[in-house]
Amino acid sequence: MKLSDERRLTFALFLFVPVVCFFVFIVYPIFRSLTLSFQEWDGLSQNIEFVGWANYKKIFSSELLWVSLTNNLKWLVFSLLAPTMLGFFLALLVDQKVKGESLFQVFFFIPYAITPVAVASVWSWLYSPRGGVINQLLTSIGLPQFRQVWIGNPDIATYSVMLASLWWSTGFAMVLYFSGLRGIPPELLEAADVDGASFWVKLRKIVFPQLLPSTIVVMAMQGISAMRVFDLIYAMTGGGPGISTHVLATMMFDVSFNRFEMGAGSAIAVVLLVISSAIILPYVFHSSKGLEELRS
Amino acid sequence: MKTNRFSLDRALRRSLIYAILVAASAFFLVPLAMMILTSVKSPAEIVDLFSFPKAIYYKNFSIAISQIGRGLLNSVCITLPAVLLSSMLGAIAAYPLSQFRFRGDQIVYMVLLSGLFVPYQIVMIPLFQIIRSLHIYDTYLGMWLVHTAYGVPICTFYMRNYFATIPRSLMEASIIDGCTLTGYFFRVLIKLGKPGFSVVVILQARAVWNDLLFGLSLTRSRTVTPVTVELAKYVGQTDIQYGSLMAATLISIIPTVLIFLLFKENFIRGILGGSVKS
Repeated sequence: MKLSDERRLTFALFLFVPVVCFFVFIVYPIFRSLTLSFQEWDGLSQNIEFVGWANYKKIFSSELLWVSLTNNLKWLVFSLLAPTMLGFFLALLVDQKVKGESLFQVFFFIPYAITPVAVASVWSWLYSPRGGVINQLLTSIGLPQFRQVWIGNPDIATYSVMLASLWWSTGFAMVLYFSGLRGIPPELLEAADVDGASFWVKLRKIVFPQLLPSTIVVMAMQGISAMRVFDLIYAMTGGGPGISTHVLATMMFDVSFNRFEMGAGSAIAVVLLVISSAIILPYVFHSSKGLEELRS
Repeated sequence: MKTNRFSLDRALRRSLIYAILVAASAFFLVPLAMMILTSVKSPAEIVDLFSFPKAIYYKNFSIAISQIGRGLLNSVCITLPAVLLSSMLGAIAAYPLSQFRFRGDQIVYMVLLSGLFVPYQIVMIPLFQIIRSLHIYDTYLGMWLVHTAYGVPICTFYMRNYFATIPRSLMEASIIDGCTLTGYFFRVLIKLGKPGFSVVVILQARAVWNDLLFGLSLTRSRTVTPVTVELAKYVGQTDIQYGSLMAATLISIIPTVLIFLLFKENFIRGILGGSVKS
């Protein structure tokens, strides 16, 4: 349909405030962060100095950045695999026409309805070395040798935070996969039954291919959240002990808002943006292609 | 293919499924149960982890309120207006995007999506600058503005997809009846969009309530900081009393858990819709 000038104007007015918001709060800040990463600024004074690549040189030569990057990669591998596989597995079980189906769904999903900071709070109690739940549980079932200083030991602290994250985010993958499973046309599975296909054959030949769209979404969401992970770490360990649990997001916050090195902070943010974009862009293209089908 | 419906094999498999489901439920529920149990016990009773208290130890809750009570109030005051504003603005932007094809609509859509995925760290410092120069650092107004601005992409995204399900012929018919484009939006589309709104409102309420990063970087005083910041501070204290910490945690999760349990369908639909197209 052709748009008349009057309609054009009306729609332009509708889009005006959101578009302004977008430029002021997203486009401009990204641009400003890019320029700020070549400058030095303490966050408050009027003094802003151009320093070239100095911020990048500084962050890339600091141990903190490499620890953070490594941890982000660990988070990426973890997020792509653990909550995804556990979520799929649980969705598959709940989908086996079990009694109390919706009750189990609620149980698995409830942690995802909780603020990440509250998750951090609950798990810091579970992990507490002085009389915390997990250590006491280990003692009472006769396995005191497995007691750990869960988040106080730099070698395992990141993995301990990941376990809390698994508890929190599995429900998300579970509901996505569950709705994907329910979306599989029953004829497909019935036809396979007629052919006498085993459970495993059906899983491989029908369920996995049919769940590909759900998997793409889950992977994209998990990938992006692995790069963004902040709340849990900030509240549980603050990046410590030492610098062992820092990721780019907590490092950026620390450098910018505790040390007031806004230039270096911006440089970290740019690194974070570049990596996240590389992970998410394929998904954005994939899903904007879907727009065509949606319209017709 | 006929299998013996009364086979032991089948019964065993069913039991195994239930056993795993029950074990998984324990993994997800025990931490919550421990939080609730700990919150009603006195410091002396907490030492014995799995015991029940003789009486509910209310003092934990009064300490918790003194720690995070104000933050809770702040979160309510921040969340309600921010959610209303962003879902309204999202619907406004979604209207043209859902009803017409125009040059560059593909680009607008891509831009929206990227707005959903941009890591907040990249906008953090300039945002801090903007908010300070507008003199709304450490105010409710600043938090409303920020949460609205960053909520608009997801709200637009979701409402666009929702409005797209409402037949366009309805608009043409209304316009032939003498309704203006603006009138159609305010009188017809908004009413028909109610189910979409209820999803967006829940989605946004959860996002704003959960926010920690903006609260940390854009607020400072007790009269403004949201509950997430107060709770994070509380967790970080040394020599903490776990009874009152768990009471504080329990109080802080009640709003979102309640919303989830009451509006389970819409809550999950929002989570799905926020990530899946259409």
